[in-house]
Amino acid sequence: MATYVLRRLIQAVPILLGIAVISFMIIYLAPGEPIDRFRSGRVSPQTIENLRRLYGLDQPLPQQLLSWMVAFFQVWRVDAWGYSFTDGQPVITKIAARVPYTLELMGTSLFLTVIIAIPVGVLGAVRQYSWADKIIMVLATIGYAMPTFWLGLVLKFVFAIRLDLFPLFGRHTYGDDSIGDLVWHLVLPVMTLTIVSVAGWSRYMRSSMLEVLHQDYVRTARAKGLPGSRVLFKHALRNALIPIVTLLGLTIPSLLVGAAVTEAVFAWPGLGGMGVTAVIERDYPAVLAFVMVGGAMVILGNLLADVLYAFVDPRIKY
Amino acid sequence: MTVHRSDRPLLEIQDLRTHFFTQDGTVKAVDGVSYEIGDGKTVGVVGESGCGKSITALSVMRLIEQPGRIVGGSVLLRGRDLLRVDDAEMRDIRGNQISMIFQEPMTSLNPVYTCGDQISEAVSLHEAVGRRQAWERAVEMLQLVGIPDPARRAKQYPHELSGGMRQRVMIAMALSTNPELLIADEPTTALDVTIQAQILELMKSLRERNRMAIMLITHDLGVIAEMADDVVVMYAGQVVEQSDADTVFAKPHHPYTTGLLASIPRLGEKRQRLEVIQGVVPNPLNLPKGCLFKRRCPHAMPVCDTPPPLQEIARGHLSRCWLTPAGEPPAVGPEATGELAEAAASALQAPA
Amino acid sequence: MESTQLGQIPAKATTGAGQGAVDEVDLTPVRTYWQLARQRFMQHSLAVVGLIVMAILVTLALVVPTITGSLYAKTSLSLANHPPSLLNPFAPLGYDSIGMNVFIRLVKALQTSLFVGFSAVSIIVVVGITVGAIAGYVGGAVDNLLMRLVDVVLSLPSFFLIVMMVALFGTGNAIVVIVAIGIVGWTTAARLVRAEFLSLRETDFVQAARALGAGDRRIIVRHMLPAAMAPVVVAATLGIADSVVVEATLSFLSFGISPPEASLGNMLTNAQEFFYRQPILILYPGLTLILVVLAASFMGDGLRDALDPRQRVRK
Repeated sequence: MATYVLRRLIQAVPILLGIAVISFMIIYLAPGEPIDRFRSGRVSPQTIENLRRLYGLDQPLPQQLLSWMVAFFQVWRVDAWGYSFTDGQPVITKIAARVPYTLELMGTSLFLTVIIAIPVGVLGAVRQYSWADKIIMVLATIGYAMPTFWLGLVLKFVFAIRLDLFPLFGRHTYGDDSIGDLVWHLVLPVMTLTIVSVAGWSRYMRSSMLEVLHQDYVRTARAKGLPGSRVLFKHALRNALIPIVTLLGLTIPSLLVGAAVTEAVFAWPGLGGMGVTAVIERDYPAVLAFVMVGGAMVILGNLLADVLYAFVDPRIKY
Repeated sequence: MTVHRSDRPLLEIQDLRTHFFTQDGTVKAVDGVSYEIGDGKTVGVVGESGCGKSITALSVMRLIEQPGRIVGGSVLLRGRDLLRVDDAEMRDIRGNQISMIFQEPMTSLNPVYTCGDQISEAVSLHEAVGRRQAWERAVEMLQLVGIPDPARRAKQYPHELSGGMRQRVMIAMALSTNPELLIADEPTTALDVTIQAQILELMKSLRERNRMAIMLITHDLGVIAEMADDVVVMYAGQVVEQSDADTVFAKPHHPYTTGLLASIPRLGEKRQRLEVIQGVVPNPLNLPKGCLFKRRCPHAMPVCDTPPPLQEIARGHLSRCWLTPAGEPPAVGPEATGELAEAAASALQAPA
Repeated sequence: MESTQLGQIPAKATTGAGQGAVDEVDLTPVRTYWQLARQRFMQHSLAVVGLIVMAILVTLALVVPTITGSLYAKTSLSLANHPPSLLNPFAPLGYDSIGMNVFIRLVKALQTSLFVGFSAVSIIVVVGITVGAIAGYVGGAVDNLLMRLVDVVLSLPSFFLIVMMVALFGTGNAIVVIVAIGIVGWTTAARLVRAEFLSLRETDFVQAARALGAGDRRIIVRHMLPAAMAPVVVAATLGIADSVVVEATLSFLSFGISPPEASLGNMLTNAQEFFYRQPILILYPGLTLILVVLAASFMGDGLRDALDPRQRVRK
């Protein structure tokens, strides 16, 4: 297993490099120059020229690319990812500061999704064709089809405006650092994310469970005289959870890069929101860093999914 | 283990009916099937795919699921009707007094649990033993079924074993509770011929040792010849012939049985073409009126439009056919319409 | 039972094997693959509903804006916030805060969103099929290289990348949005086609074509592609749902289509601004979006079952 993980990590390097090249190229090919934001009537051409040289924009493309990548991978240095064009802070620090906020949001949502979707999916599968199943399927289909940001708007309207139960924006009330206040602010955004996730996950769980219930070994378990609950939980569920576990691994990356849109709707100070703002403001160092972090998360998530898969399914040996 | 010696046979299936209610219509998978299995006897149930032999077995175990349902008849285990007992009692009997093994050992074992786990689960379910004892019994059973190095194998997962070994594990699991009846549904069909022979030998020795009755379901007449004391031939949900093995092989009566036996190629025989039974199994949603075999039968007669009852044509030998016990078409008499024929049929005292 | 009793029954003596056996043969008519597929599709009531809804939406999207022309951008402060009334059948949904006819604008927005969705999917399908076919057919080093490329593109945070591309290359430009979605989304289709090609390559009918002297291109286009199309069709249909949502999200964030052009997304931005005054405006574009997604998803599910005969149909 250890060799497998190592092998995958080594394979990940060229992929990361590929991501770096692509994102760099996109910015390079975009119209205008990265330093355009600094232009104004009061900035002399000489300053612009200095800036250009400072950021190495006068160097040939391969050299730019190389020097950026070399700097980027030295993550122990605070200036490895450059300084934000918007506020001059080291990008690493900015990103690191936002990570916990995003985790609060996404982590809570993921936790709730798992504890709701799994029982719901199992129920739907076990009571297939019953009215409970039909209701679950309908709700899940609709929930899955809803765009997250629209759901966020609707929830805001119903709960924050009409019923005035929850705040509209932000992570905490000014001056209030309590947990209770945080939770109060978390409710609506978490609800938005969770509803859509649960819709998707419960469908997945249900179809996985259905497939398992039709397997021969379930029939064998019944033929041994096992009570229905034992057949269900010990034999069927254990197998049905295998694809769910891999799904879990794949969802981990989105924990960080997650719901940029939901963060925008609720003004949550998370990583996703920061990324979008960076793009709007042409904060190129931040944008590049963000893409790289996102890519790394995806790669790690895939690896995590495969490793978890090997843990829960004894048939898999690396 | 005490051997019950009572008047009643171990298992009596009486007029069992299991129907499947599908969107396209009702499939009468098992339609009035009756036979018995005596203590320690092996009954071979033979027939083509889809004739209802497996569904009969699943019905005995009450493992039929939607859209199927047992709609009539009774299954008496030493006089107790299994179709009328409650769920808890049935679970008690399953895997305990009656065990079942299936055709595909590859998929019939749970891939995420070790072989030892699955066997000891059966043991600890039906007997009050501790975990360690159950595990030891599992290893014993593995040894009994001829798996080398059983202690190690018990800790392995099903996918680490070959097909033949997996089937042995299934047998070990089924026998671990010393059942009185073993239902074996095509146990060797998915295996190589050489492994087949081994498994059959194993079953024979275990049956000796445990005084166990076996319901052996297969479409392979060779297996029947090896193992069975009595033979039940099924076709399209009904029993069409029934007797002891010797009689069925030497003096088959029903044209279907005759056809089956004739179609087996024999070594050393010189023949230009293989004998086949003409036609195909009838569509269960569109069964013919009267004898279900008439469309494929070389002896089909007008009287076959009336369903023949299962009659005793000789002592202990039943057949569902209008042919005389000698195999001749019934003698020509005054013109009789279908109704007369029906009247004649009901006048006959025929079993089931 | 003695035979004499049986002997009462007459019989026309028939001899000979096979009497009456051959007459009744099951003669179900043979159907082509497409007929079978269509039949299976029709059995899925949801899929059929999806198809009908999609057809209605597309027709609306094509017809209404053609009739109303540039009315979707016409503002009229005197009509601002007018609710729908029976006296005015041309404004069944009323007017928004700057006096635009909600219904007309909505249908125009639907047209834009559907246009972006369908076009983006076309790019995805074309690029995906090309890459997948080459990788699957040629194999070897070329396959390896292309799959590495797929891995890289898949690892990119797709939504963010789309945002980036749109922001940098032109906000408000529908073409940029379409291209961006297409560039990021072709990977699934490529993998599907590649998988089919890899297995088809060794089939007998391809070998036969090769033995007859058919060139590579002919083999790919005439023989292998039609067989590999099934999963792509399903992916494309479901991809429409995805693309439409992505476009709406982009426009919502003000990256995609911007006013005065209409998109389901920017109608929602607008609605958000006037949350307090006319909250109902959130419903219309949202419900339309959901309708499109549902219709496309149901169609996709139905197609998946219809086109793949190996799948067990689980209603």
